[in-house]
Amino acid sequence: MVKQAAWDVRDTTRVAAFAALIAVLGLPGAVPVFGGAVPITLQTLGVMLAGTILGPWRGAAAVLTLDVLVLIGLPLLSGGRGGAGVFVGPTAGYLVGWILGAFVIGAISFAGSLRPTWWRTAAACITGGIVVVYACGIPVQALVIRLPLAQTALTSVVFLPGDLVKVVLATAITLTLWRAYPRAFSRRVINR
Amino acid sequence: MISAYRSGTSPVHRMPTGIKLISFIGMSLVVAAAVTDLWQVVAALTFVMTAYALAGLDARVLTGQVLAVRWVIVFMLVPQLLFLPALVAASNTARVALIIVLAALFTITTRVPDLLDAVERALVPLRRFGVRPEGVALALALTITSIPVLAGFASTIRDAQRARGIPAHRVSFAVPLLIMSLKHADDLADAVSARGIKP
Repeated sequence: MVKQAAWDVRDTTRVAAFAALIAVLGLPGAVPVFGGAVPITLQTLGVMLAGTILGPWRGAAAVLTLDVLVLIGLPLLSGGRGGAGVFVGPTAGYLVGWILGAFVIGAISFAGSLRPTWWRTAAACITGGIVVVYACGIPVQALVIRLPLAQTALTSVVFLPGDLVKVVLATAITLTLWRAYPRAFSRRVINR
Repeated sequence: MISAYRSGTSPVHRMPTGIKLISFIGMSLVVAAAVTDLWQVVAALTFVMTAYALAGLDARVLTGQVLAVRWVIVFMLVPQLLFLPALVAASNTARVALIIVLAALFTITTRVPDLLDAVERALVPLRRFGVRPEGVALALALTITSIPVLAGFASTIRDAQRARGIPAHRVSFAVPLLIMSLKHADDLADAVSARGIKP
């Protein structure tokens, strides 16, 4: 059984580093995506990695930290968006969904053995990074723009291929990181 | 780190942060619930323009805020135009855009350190549930200082890969960035513990 040890300083700084990482993934030109031709946000990828690497509580805390900084006015979302206005706009539900999504991703990827497997990581990213995030985002979007739920959901399908690419990337990165730097994963085995 | 804050001495700037936040939430809810037809949109627009004028900000700032959310406006307008009459779609979009611009006024007139203090104070009642406000404040401050450091790591890796002629590849870019970020976090942790600060 994999359990996480109690919270210490290292966890606070890792949560801060991951919140900063998600912000950096949203900077224009910071990360090359298909030669910079496609303006897709990589921030969802950062949310997925926060879950698979930091686990449920610390991953959700990293996303929450980013959301709080956005709320108080730092332009940390992709395209330099930020401020309280983001949380009353149509994408507000997605931002809150990221917190729950990171938690679900962490809970699923930390549920089994110590070593991450590709199928559990991918399943975690699809469930937490797509299903949970859309389930939080689409109803809020429908409410804000006063469009029926089914029609809002239909228009969100455009973002599905990009998010599936991010699931593949998050899985590949998580497994490579496990081989390159296992210390990255804040999980410890506790024998009882 | 560039924040959206613009200095000023207007009544809006000087309002205490907590009271300002609550009144802006109130105004946003009123606009969200009450504005439906075109005349109410015009009334709300007049109100937002008055609020900006009261804060000593000219029309350029207001226009800048609208331009800043132009992609959000497109994101809202396109699905609605597919399913709703054009006038309804336009007034729906205008309502949300007005709320966003109104909320932006809060951000423009409030300093980030004041907001961080307000967050820390607001968390004090949660202490009984195990939340430590000073730990949260530390995490927020560390995040702000880490962003330029991590952005520097990203450009170092990009330059190193370009110098070796490696095409920009997602996985080979992200893994070193993650390792450098996590090592940076562990260095910060050592620095924080060395100074005797509890997390």
